[in-house]
Amino acid sequence: MQVSYFETARYHDPAARPAYWPVPPGDYDPDAGAQAYNGMIERLRFVEELGFDWVSVSEHHYSPRILTPAPAISAAYIAASVPRIKIAYLGPIVPQSNPVRVAEELAMVDTLAQGRLVVGMLRGTTNEYLTFDLNPQEARDRTDEGMELILKAWTEPQPFGWQGRYYQFRTVSVWPRPLQQPHPPTYALGTSRESCEFAARHHIGLGVSFAPYEVVGKSTRYYREECARYGWQPTPEQMVYRANILLTETDEAAEKALKQPTQPPFPMRAGLRDALLKADARNVAGEPRPANVGGVLPTTFFGSPDRVVEQVKRCREEVGVGVIDLMFRNPDSDDPDALMETLELFGKKVLPRIRDV
Amino acid sequence: MFTEGFVEADGFRIRYLEAGQGSPLVHLHGAGGFRLSRAHELLSRQFRVIAFEMPGFGQSPENTVTRDMAELALTMARAAGDLGLGEFNLWGTSFGGKTALWLAVQQPEQVRALVLAAPAAIRPEGSQLAAGSPKEMARRLYAHPERMPALPQVDPAIQTKTRALVLRLRGPDRDRDLERRLSELAIPALVLFGTLDAVIPPEMGRIYKGLIPNCHLVFVYDAGHAIDAERPEAFTEVVADFLERHEAFIISRTPTVIHP
Repeated sequence: MQVSYFETARYHDPAARPAYWPVPPGDYDPDAGAQAYNGMIERLRFVEELGFDWVSVSEHHYSPRILTPAPAISAAYIAASVPRIKIAYLGPIVPQSNPVRVAEELAMVDTLAQGRLVVGMLRGTTNEYLTFDLNPQEARDRTDEGMELILKAWTEPQPFGWQGRYYQFRTVSVWPRPLQQPHPPTYALGTSRESCEFAARHHIGLGVSFAPYEVVGKSTRYYREECARYGWQPTPEQMVYRANILLTETDEAAEKALKQPTQPPFPMRAGLRDALLKADARNVAGEPRPANVGGVLPTTFFGSPDRVVEQVKRCREEVGVGVIDLMFRNPDSDDPDALMETLELFGKKVLPRIRDV
Repeated sequence: MFTEGFVEADGFRIRYLEAGQGSPLVHLHGAGGFRLSRAHELLSRQFRVIAFEMPGFGQSPENTVTRDMAELALTMARAAGDLGLGEFNLWGTSFGGKTALWLAVQQPEQVRALVLAAPAAIRPEGSQLAAGSPKEMARRLYAHPERMPALPQVDPAIQTKTRALVLRLRGPDRDRDLERRLSELAIPALVLFGTLDAVIPPEMGRIYKGLIPNCHLVFVYDAGHAIDAERPEAFTEVVADFLERHEAFIISRTPTVIHP
């Protein structure tokens, strides 16, 4: 099993956290922000030393929760500051991006990082659509088209025009091209039928996230079936699972912590949440499933190192993934120092024992 | 409304459908024969569209005379000349894309600009001619056959007749003689491929772009081989813009003001 550390540029501010997304920018503390980014590099040098395979970054807006609205910048900064670890950009929110711009940025980051980039392309969580006025009902189709255009921009050797449904370019001719040819290891991120089919058709990986094994297992199974239909078989490394982890010295400590109420990452007012749920239809391998709008995300891995090792083994057996991308929770606080201790515990007591899983 | 006409050329009585006014746009169809799409209708709002049925296709008598694609192209050039078109825009689809290229290299003074839709002039080695029932053909021609009206049943006699003709005229997968002449083609050319073309791989597009000096390549997203039928609005927009402005068509004129 390969392990990725999900870096959120943890913003630690003792002031009370406002209740709803979007969080007012007036509440932002510039010093706390500067500290968040400094801490990021310190942490990543540490996880590299501990032997993590990847660090991942993702795009989120208008909130202190995940302070990386422009992950290409995070990725370039990490590339310059941390020498060996793979940098997984998981990923640009495709439906609200300019796909040509994304292709350019990622090719540039891959080259700056000397071929260490891993790419995930995704539709994004529903609340993010409010950032750039994206119509949620168009998000699925814009994602499919945008992903196709990004791959084409990386691989087509001649300048070309794109006559899409949602994107139109008369001339696309991207320089630099990615250092990794034909393109960096790439994943379609999502549990939906559409993501699985897109990934299978383009011979790329699949990334699933934040749902129990039974749910994400449906997607990885459907993905493998689709790959077979297109005449190929994905490796376990072509499937990545992002999940929350709550690692503690003892099982009791984690169980106790899980009983505490948790604040959702992007809480929404009820009226807005309900309207978004209506506008944004989602599915798991074709079965309708409501989007997660403003809700708490489950914690998949929790307990002592022994228990987490067992959970990772089950994950490999039931979901089939070869990479787990971990979002570390702390039992009591969002204090970055406490996080360093948890990472050390993981690096010493879990990582060596799941390598051969 | 398209109206039917006939023109004599090289001893053939050639049928055509015509609609619209303005700059003439001649269309040469694919191996499956003559069929109007919604793109013909949309283009006829800006152009005088003349869609020929090439000799030996459809209801026309069996063509055992034409020896190769270059000769078919000269026949079509004469037909256009006999209609008094002078200089015209030329649109060729698939098999007709090869005819159009042969016409352009032999009679460049007649052609103002060239549109090649999923052209079959350059094919991967060992390409087979698509054949089958209307249902099977729909799966080959369209990315989303379920969204398209059913293809008509073709008279088996017509099928046999045109298949023999196409196999005789389509030429090699890589026609060195034609490709050599493309480097001298000064006419602006637009090559279009659907991203889901299952007859000719869209990757063939880059070869035209590399060979023809003033060539533009455009991918029509989510379309199969029959681009004009599947995404008529997208097809028409770029074709009409290219025919109007040639290489300047890459300069956007799309307004983005939201509230003046």
